[in-house]
Order: sequence, then structure tokens, then C-alpha cells
Amino acid sequence: MRPNFFHHLHPPTIPARQARLRYTLAAGGLAVFLGLVLLVTGLLEMLYYIPTPIMASASIQTLTFLVPYGGLVRNLHFWSAQFLVIVSIVHLFRVILTGSYAPPRRLNYLLGMGLLVLAVLLDFTGYVLRWDEGIHWALVTGTNLVKSIPLLGPSLYTLLVGGALPGPATLIRFYGWHIFGLTLAAGILVAWHIFRVRRDGGIAVPPPAFRLDHIRITRYELVRREVLAMLLAAIGLLLLSTFAPAPLAPAITANFPRVETARAPWFFLWVQQMLKLGNPFFWGVVVPLAVLLLLSLIPYIFPIAARPELGRWFPRGNRIAQVVSVFVLLGVLVLTVLALMPAS
Amino acid sequence: MRRYFLLAASLALLLALLFVAWYEKLHPKPVPLTPTLTGQVEYCLTCHSDLAQISNSHPVQTFGCVLCHSGEPLALDANLAHSTMRGGSNPSDFSVVQASCGSDKCHSGTPESYSNHIQRATTSIQATYAGAIANIMFTFGVQPDLTARLGIFSVQVPGSTSGITALAAFDPAQETNPYVKAFGQNCLTCHLSAQPMPGSVYFRFTGCAACHTPTQSADRTSTQQLQSSQIHKLTTSISYTQCDTCHNRGNYDLRSITFTPRQDLPIDRLHDYYQPIAQFTSCEWMLDCVDCHTRTEAMGDGNLYSSKLDIQYIQCKTCHGTLTELPQTRPLTDPNDLAFRLALINPVVDLKLGDTILVTGKNEPLWNTCVLPDGIYQLVGKATGEVFPFKPVMGSACTQNGTDQTSAYCHTCHSVTR
Repeated sequence: MRPNFFHHLHPPTIPARQARLRYTLAAGGLAVFLGLVLLVTGLLEMLYYIPTPIMASASIQTLTFLVPYGGLVRNLHFWSAQFLVIVSIVHLFRVILTGSYAPPRRLNYLLGMGLLVLAVLLDFTGYVLRWDEGIHWALVTGTNLVKSIPLLGPSLYTLLVGGALPGPATLIRFYGWHIFGLTLAAGILVAWHIFRVRRDGGIAVPPPAFRLDHIRITRYELVRREVLAMLLAAIGLLLLSTFAPAPLAPAITANFPRVETARAPWFFLWVQQMLKLGNPFFWGVVVPLAVLLLLSLIPYIFPIAARPELGRWFPRGNRIAQVVSVFVLLGVLVLTVLALMPAS
Repeated sequence: MRRYFLLAASLALLLALLFVAWYEKLHPKPVPLTPTLTGQVEYCLTCHSDLAQISNSHPVQTFGCVLCHSGEPLALDANLAHSTMRGGSNPSDFSVVQASCGSDKCHSGTPESYSNHIQRATTSIQATYAGAIANIMFTFGVQPDLTARLGIFSVQVPGSTSGITALAAFDPAQETNPYVKAFGQNCLTCHLSAQPMPGSVYFRFTGCAACHTPTQSADRTSTQQLQSSQIHKLTTSISYTQCDTCHNRGNYDLRSITFTPRQDLPIDRLHDYYQPIAQFTSCEWMLDCVDCHTRTEAMGDGNLYSSKLDIQYIQCKTCHGTLTELPQTRPLTDPNDLAFRLALINPVVDLKLGDTILVTGKNEPLWNTCVLPDGIYQLVGKATGEVFPFKPVMGSACTQNGTDQTSAYCHTCHSVTR
């Protein structure tokens, strides 16, 4: 069988353990697939979405309810975006808990962190594009956090919002970042990230001398597995998108009472919960950035796993990094759950 | 074997796609409507095509749904579509009526344009309940006289000619007098912003719809069903049964400050006479309340009053005159006469230029009456269309003193025996 284009994107053979589901969790591959779904569904949504405050919500309702399969396309875009954030986090923790970020993969770890940040920012900007009653937290609290930064805050706020208050300029800026700025950056980083995976010797496994098995699989088998994962993911996404519609709220109007219990998008609930503790700059900007910095510096500040230890879960060498990262994850999860609980 | 995984997954995806396509077909086909007044497309009829047009004065092609009800015109998800509706299912509730029914092109404006209904209704004694509140406050020594100071909501009428230019909001929680407190708890069920008492005989909506949306035809098997029943109708053909949801279903007991429901459930129209009066005559049970009582009496004249007696002015002589005077009449010479407008909305009579109708002491047209060529009069029931000929007192054997128009005085002779 002659390898086709997709086969040629892969090495002729790879060690079998690089492609074991229980090792990779298929998270990286799924992230690529979800990114592609987002690109296609996003392009379709652009045919209907009108990025002005008056028309944004109406155009989304038109797409959702009146365009044939428009609701499905929007739901696919929504669910793919949420799962992209989830599989990116799963991918990050797979890499940390298997110690895979050890040199020479430190740069690629940072590229991956960049992609996670971009996934969250894309999710956040996309959520703001709804421009309905459901996005008040983002529009008010979220943007005000930027303002709370000493010295730089007001300028950054104006840069982000495009004026003294959220308005048409804000929407077009978020739109621009969503469909172009962030997407372009993500596209470049994805290509670089995947290139680095190949350049760094594929998914982290021990050097040949330390491998217990020397089984290799061909690119045909690898592509077959990837396609299988994508097919299953596509079925899941389709069914979820059919039965669980993406959230929508009434359009923002001057005379309709605003929702008092504005809630952040789920991936920022932990930040919203911390804001209840006091100083918005500290809890809303410094702490989240410190968490991001801590996670980014894991390959540089904590002991790393020895090369023979690679290719399996929980190597001894980077135990500290594992514990620290799990604590961070648990902290974020607990804060998220607290934020979801009804106010007593 | 593994090769079949891929095949099976492909087939499963195909099936999922077919299922999604089939599922999409289950959604109702969107039904657009672009009302001429708004020019904005709305899709409410996708689900509500079976709803009757609310009235001939509000054609759906002209008004649509959103102009009055608000809501999300493009949404085909019931929760989202209904989430921003004004006043829930009742846009005429007084908390939202200005936005729903107002604007100077509709039901708020100037007395001259006959379009100040909202201003009148929201200051009327039925809306403010100022008379009942003032009576209780006076009776139990909280205020020195019967002049109204409080209403269900605060309201100002700077140009009020009644001497009362403002009412503050009555808040039972702030009252210390136990009777006034009890009144607040037990007796605030009959003003136009109050939810009705439980029980199908009391069922009505709030705001304009309290009177203009007939609830008697609804499924009245339970209050719950009543609440959920969609009665999509506005009418000026108001049956006495609608007035009865407040006015004829029991009495308040001042000693216990409680409402005592009427026990003698009426078996027919005759027995469903207006209960607070012990004696009554034919027109009081054969006609509907709105056949005699005018829009000004029911909906106010834009001034604030302390008692319904200050605004209620229809008497026996309004239609029957006295021994020395015939009832007041007006020949219809102006095609813009209010009478034509009112008759158009509830076309039970075919008024023509040149007809002569009776008018009230305030020159309000009793548009459902007319003077017949032989000198007798005729009234057509606004809710029934029934024709009632009647005669003036003048020239009859009546021995009345024309200045006494109290109910008891006329009922001495003119009362019905059941």
C-alpha cells in the first residue's frame, strides 16, 4: 500500500508504546481534531454572525433556530471548544504526570502551555461574542480585572475594550481576536508544537537501550488509530450537540433587568470564586498568573524524571512536580465547585 | 478484526449523522410573521398558530406578538423565547402596562385623543384601592377623615381636580394598628394589581386584563388549570360575570377583618344579582354592569379619588329621566363622535349619523342606547346583544320625587321578587 498524504504526515514506524491509549490518553490527537472541528464550524458560523451589539445576539438566534442545521453547527462549535480546553488540560497533566517534559521537550512544553492559554482565550472571546445577558461577568468583571492592574491597567483596559465602557468597539475587538488574532497564533503554535514532537523524537519513551519491548507500529496503524479516535469523538460530539444545546440568553437591552447572579464561564469560575476573597488585582490577576507561571516553569524549577523512567505514569524523578501540579489542579477544582454551589 | 473497528466506527458515524438529520426534521418549520407596525420578523406563530387573534382591534398581521408581549422574537426555544416577556403571560399588568399597551399611538396619551386609558386606569379607584384603604384607616382611628392618602402603589397626578394630587404607597408591614395590618393581609385581593383569591369563581387576570379578558369561559375545573389556560382575548363586551370575580362573591367583615365568601352559589342569572343590595330591579339583573356603568366610572377620569362614590354617577334618571325631565340625549352629527368609536370596537349596534343616543350627566355617550322614533328608548346589551326597550318616567304613573335617586328610594316600588 502506498502511503497517502495523511500517512506521510507521520514517521514510517514508531515504538508501539508511544501510541498506547493508556499512556497518551489520545489527548493531543483529540485536541488537533477538536481544533479542526472548531475551524470548520467557526467558518460556517462566520457566514451568519454579525459582530455588532444590536445584531450579535439576534444573528446567533437566527443561526441557532432558523438556519437549517445552524443550531447543530453552533452546538458542535460550542462543545468542541469546551472539550478542547478539557483535553488540553488532560494533555498537560498527562505530560506532567509522566515526566515527559524533560529535555529536550522543555520548549515544546512551553509551546503547549501557550496553546492551553490560547484555547482558554479563544473560548473566552467566543463566549463574549454571544453578547447576551449571559456574558455579563466577562463583560464587566472580566474586563475590570484588567483595569485593576497597577499603572498598566487603564491603558490595557482601553486597548481591550476600545473605550471607557464595553460597547461596539469591544465586540469588534473580541471578534477580531477570536477569528483572526488568536486563531492565527494558535495555528502557528499547533504547527510548531507538532513539528517539535517529531523533532524531539516523538512522544517521550525511554531510549532504546532501556526499553523492555522493541515493538514498533507502522504509520498505517497509527493513522488507523487516529481515525478511529476521531470517528468516536465525532459521534460523541454529534450526539451531545443534538441533545445538549449551547447556552443562549436574551439579548442585552437597556430596559431588561440585568441578571444579578452573573456567573463566569466555567473555566474562569475558580477565578470568580477567588475574587470573593478581596483585592481583585491580587486574586483575579496575580494569583491566576502565578499559577500559570508555576505550571510553565515546572520543567525548569523542579527535579525532572531520568530518561529511563520515561514512557510510563508517575516516574519517581519528578515526584515534586507531580504533587505540585495535582495540588494546583485540586485547588482549581475545589474553587470551581465552590463557585457552582448556590450562595447560602 | 481490528480492521472492522474502523468500519464499525464509520458506520456508527453514518448512523449518527442520519439520526441527527432525522432529529432536525422533528423541529417544527419556522413560521415567520412581519407585523406592519414593527417591520421586524418574529417567529412566535411557529408554536402559537392555534392561538386566537386577541381582538379585531389588534390584528396579528398588524401588531404581531412582540409589540405587546415582548420576548425573544427569533428564538424557537420556549424558555428563551418567553424569558423576556413583559408581565409573564399578561402584558397588561400595571407594572408593565405602559411599555406593553402605552405609547401615544396606543393606549396612553391625552383625554382629547381618547387614548389616556393607562393614565386613567392606573389612577382609578379600582387600581389604587384608595377608598377601601382610607375607610379602614379612618374606621380604626389611624387617620382623622376619609380623605385618601394611600394607594396600592404611590401615584402622583399634579393636575388632579379632585383635591388629591398624590397617594403614597400603602405598606401593611409598616402599619402598627392590628386591624390595618389584618386588612393588609386579608383584604387586598380585589384591586387591579392583586392576584385573585384562590378558587375558580375569583379567577381573573391583573391590570387591563382583569376586566377586558373574559375568564368565565376558561377551563375552571381547578385554579391551577385556570392559571395555565391561555385566554387570548381582549374585549369591551364585558359580561357581568367578569365584574363578579371581584364585586359579587362575598363580603368583608369589619369585626374580624376577613372576607366571607358568598355561600349562595347562584343557580341562574336572577339569583346572581348584585348581592350587596338587598332589593333590585329588572335592569340590575337583566343587564350587564357595563350596559349602564360607563368607562369613566369603571376606569376613572384621570383624577385621584377617595371613594367610588366620587366617580360613580349613573343613576336611574340617567336613562329614565324624572317626572319633569326627559333623559339627556345627543344627536350624532359628528362622524368623529366618541360613540362611533366605541360602537366600532364592540359592534352590537349599528350607529349612524343622525341617530340620537342617550348621554350621561357628564355628556358621556351611552352609545348602546338610542331614542326610537315613537319617543321610547332602546338599550342593546354590550355583552349579550339583547335588545331592551324602556320608557321615560315622564308621562308615567310614577309618583317619585325626582331629586331622590337613592337605590332604596326607587326600589320601594321597583323591585323584583325572586
